[in-house]
Amino acid sequence: MKFQWLQQQYRRVLSGSYRSIRTKLLICFLIVTLIPLLSLGALSYYQSAKIINSQFGKYGENAVAQLQQQTGSSLSRMKQMSETIYSYLLDPARTDLGSKTPVTYNEIIEKNDFEALLKSLRTDLTAGIYILTPSGYYYGESNLDVGKLEHIPAWKDKPASYQGTYWLGFYMQDHAMSSAGSVSEPVLGLAVPIHNPGGAQDGSTILIEENAQELLHMFRLFEEDTKAHLTIKAPDGRIVYKSASAFTPKDSDIVWDRTLAVSQWTIEARLPAKAFYLSSGIIRSNTILVAILSCLLAFGLAYIFSSHFTARIRSLKDSMQKVSFGKLDTRMPVEGRDELGSLDMSFNRMVSGVQTLVQEVEQSERLKKEAELKAFHYQINPHLLFNTLNSIQWKARLQGAEDIRQMLYHLTMVLEGNLDISQELITLGRELRMIEHFLKIQEIRYGCVFRYDLRCGEELKQYLIPRMTLQPLFENIFFHGFTDGVGIIELEVRESGEELLLTLKDDGAGITAEKLARLFVPGAKRQGRGGLGVQNADQKFKLHFGPQYGLTVHSTKGEGTEILIRWPKKEERSDGNSQEN
Amino acid sequence: MKKRVSLIVLATTVMVSVLSACGDSGSSAGTAGKGESGSAQSKTLRFATWDTGDALKIEQDIAKKFETEHPGTKVQVEAYADGFDQKLAAGFGAANPPDVMYMWDFPTYHQSLEPLDSYADKDNDLKIDDFYKGLFNYGKIDGKLYGIPAGFTTRVVYYNKKLFDAAGVPYPKDGWTWDEFQAIAQKLSDKSKKQYGFGVRAENDTYDLQGFVWSNGSSFISPDGKTIDGYMNSKETAESIQMFGDMVKNGSAVLTGGKGQQSGDDIFKAGKIAMWESGIWPLESFKQAGIDVGTVEMPAFPGKPVKGVLAESALSIAKDSKQKDLAWEFVKFYVGGESIKMRVADLPVRQSVVTELKKDQDPLYKPFYTMLERSSDTPAFLLNPKWNEVNRQLSAAVEAVMHGSNAQEVLNQAVKDSERYLK
Repeated sequence: MKFQWLQQQYRRVLSGSYRSIRTKLLICFLIVTLIPLLSLGALSYYQSAKIINSQFGKYGENAVAQLQQQTGSSLSRMKQMSETIYSYLLDPARTDLGSKTPVTYNEIIEKNDFEALLKSLRTDLTAGIYILTPSGYYYGESNLDVGKLEHIPAWKDKPASYQGTYWLGFYMQDHAMSSAGSVSEPVLGLAVPIHNPGGAQDGSTILIEENAQELLHMFRLFEEDTKAHLTIKAPDGRIVYKSASAFTPKDSDIVWDRTLAVSQWTIEARLPAKAFYLSSGIIRSNTILVAILSCLLAFGLAYIFSSHFTARIRSLKDSMQKVSFGKLDTRMPVEGRDELGSLDMSFNRMVSGVQTLVQEVEQSERLKKEAELKAFHYQINPHLLFNTLNSIQWKARLQGAEDIRQMLYHLTMVLEGNLDISQELITLGRELRMIEHFLKIQEIRYGCVFRYDLRCGEELKQYLIPRMTLQPLFENIFFHGFTDGVGIIELEVRESGEELLLTLKDDGAGITAEKLARLFVPGAKRQGRGGLGVQNADQKFKLHFGPQYGLTVHSTKGEGTEILIRWPKKEERSDGNSQEN
Repeated sequence: MKKRVSLIVLATTVMVSVLSACGDSGSSAGTAGKGESGSAQSKTLRFATWDTGDALKIEQDIAKKFETEHPGTKVQVEAYADGFDQKLAAGFGAANPPDVMYMWDFPTYHQSLEPLDSYADKDNDLKIDDFYKGLFNYGKIDGKLYGIPAGFTTRVVYYNKKLFDAAGVPYPKDGWTWDEFQAIAQKLSDKSKKQYGFGVRAENDTYDLQGFVWSNGSSFISPDGKTIDGYMNSKETAESIQMFGDMVKNGSAVLTGGKGQQSGDDIFKAGKIAMWESGIWPLESFKQAGIDVGTVEMPAFPGKPVKGVLAESALSIAKDSKQKDLAWEFVKFYVGGESIKMRVADLPVRQSVVTELKKDQDPLYKPFYTMLERSSDTPAFLLNPKWNEVNRQLSAAVEAVMHGSNAQEVLNQAVKDSERYLK
């Protein structure tokens, strides 16, 4: 089951959304952040945990050693005290120290001397020094109520025939004579039975008590500090001290133990493993927490970054789609100067290039269509026009109107050239003949007031020129340039390498500079028909031979106009198609 | 002997009246201290005391008051308590003693103390005439003054009025005799009730016994301080001590304070002894214990004047102190009226304060002042510097008497044993 689920997930990861750049970026980001983060975290955790554990262990050891040392010094001080007293009593000269209340002068002197010694042994910590005789009398400060000694737990348990030092352990000192006013204090007690057969104080017991407040305070500090459970055991298994808190010893506990040389007590501090590793556990959980937080942060950052990144790519893709649907005015907003920004820019450039191209194609297609439409329109019934004109010509001849017949003849010739749309390119000679006819018409209109100079080599007349290009220029001269047809027109055709150069000059009114500037601007508003012929002619040359050819107009207002046309040599071929020379 | 001077707080009523009356004579010390405070900038004055508990608290308050009136001075109160003698001796030995200290044992320490005559003479602020006459005697060695009295007490007989009433015995009056005392003790003893007429200390401070010895016309040591034979073991001395041993023997008195015995103060508080002899210290605790207590001056031996013994605590300045002028200011402040009123644990040393507080009119206090007038004899320890050694034998002898020995015999023995110390 599990395997299948894994496989499913694997497939999901490989397919669909998991293969997007965003996912890849995310994964990449996570890997890049997680690997160092996790390894660093784990490393620092193990290192610091190791150090802390070893330091805490050492600290515990030292603390217990200190407890041992402090307790030991108390114990040995007490033991030394008891030994001093013991050796004083072993002196045969002390035999007068009886076990009964001293009543005689000598006994009292002895007692006073002895008590002076006991007093001199006292230190700041001493809580009591007593020698208890079997009779119930005692030596020492007169504040002891012997009956209350039974309150000391270990005192009761003391075997009658005990020899050597008997440690009473810790207990509250409450054997004072008057209960009022005295606050009972914790003390550490030592009982030493005296064996001095025949000597002083045989069968008595030395009781030494030392204030244990500081020691117990130290124990408590240790317990608070380390949270350890402290036990002090006498060699016979008696528990001398035990921490107040409830505790169940376990095998996994960390144990620090020491033995007191003086009393053979064992100090044992037990710390549950859980408590011992608590601090390193805190480090671990902190490390994990920080790692999780960093992962989330990395994930969030990666998400934000990658979504920003892929959003730009996606919007580029959307824009491309739009363009592919024909919305050529689509543009990408350029964000930033990075690679994606430059991609956006190139995209914009490309689309605008395509758009210009498409517009140009559209334009030329439209022009061609228009021309064809126009031609078609003119073609509707040329025969009717020519037949009618011929009939009128005949009528004119019959009625002897020779000049009308002449005009009609020339008009027919001009129209024939105009309306014959079977060929777009005609020979220069044919175009020039049509110009002759046109000029004849003008001559009849205005009379012989103008002069026409044609300089053209015969060999050049075989080259092709777009139909109906020169005639509109001549029309312009008569309509705009000359007043009542008066003037001089010079037409010269030259060859220059593989190109032909045609110069048409007149001495008419000329064209103003601003009108000249508007002449070639497509779509510019015109005044009257002026200029349309120039532009048409220019476009015809450009359409047939390429944009580098066409017309150039030079004109000075009042002095005439010079039009220069340049186009490549092209000869008519026998099969009727034009062929480049 | 420190027990004698360890202090217990007096009536809170007294304290209240004292606090409300604060602030007249203290001001003189304050103005005098101003010239000093400049040179005493941020100086620490060490002051050693043997007191503990409430008495220590009062002394710390006085020290704080001194600090506020002397800016820049810090008084470090060192409470030596039980270890007073050892610590003081160690301080003198190391030439690093406290500047000011409580003192009573002038014969032992006077060589380490600064003579104060010149200070007392030229400083009128001290108002030396205001002190009770005779208090200065205790601080003088070879005519030089080493301590200024700070507090004192005399010894009186306390009695439990309830027990007297129950037995139909009239209260004792001033001018009574030891015979009357013994008769009353006998009447007030009831063994079945474990009630006794009087309490006898098992371990007496021989200093306190001097009042009885003087009253019987004797003393422990000759007035020139050179002889004890015939004084310490005189018939009169033995008689006055034997009296207490006999009272224990015949059951009219009980031994107190020894091994396995309660202290006399505790037994008196428990209402089991009718009469008790002591200084001012337990008075407050008796009142607190609910005992209807009366005081009366010491009984007299027939035809002899009653004598009292004075327990005095004084203030001294160490010879090795580096700031004796400041120390003197503190001493003067400490024995000034203001401080005395704060220190309610012993009797005021100034007559003006006593008059102001009407202490000598209070029937409970009056016997103390009567006894003061009777405290004209010089204690043994002031007469001979070796007295402490002699005292060991005397103490043992007195203790033996209380346990049934014959006073004359043991005193003879004690004199014999002590003679060598006086040679």
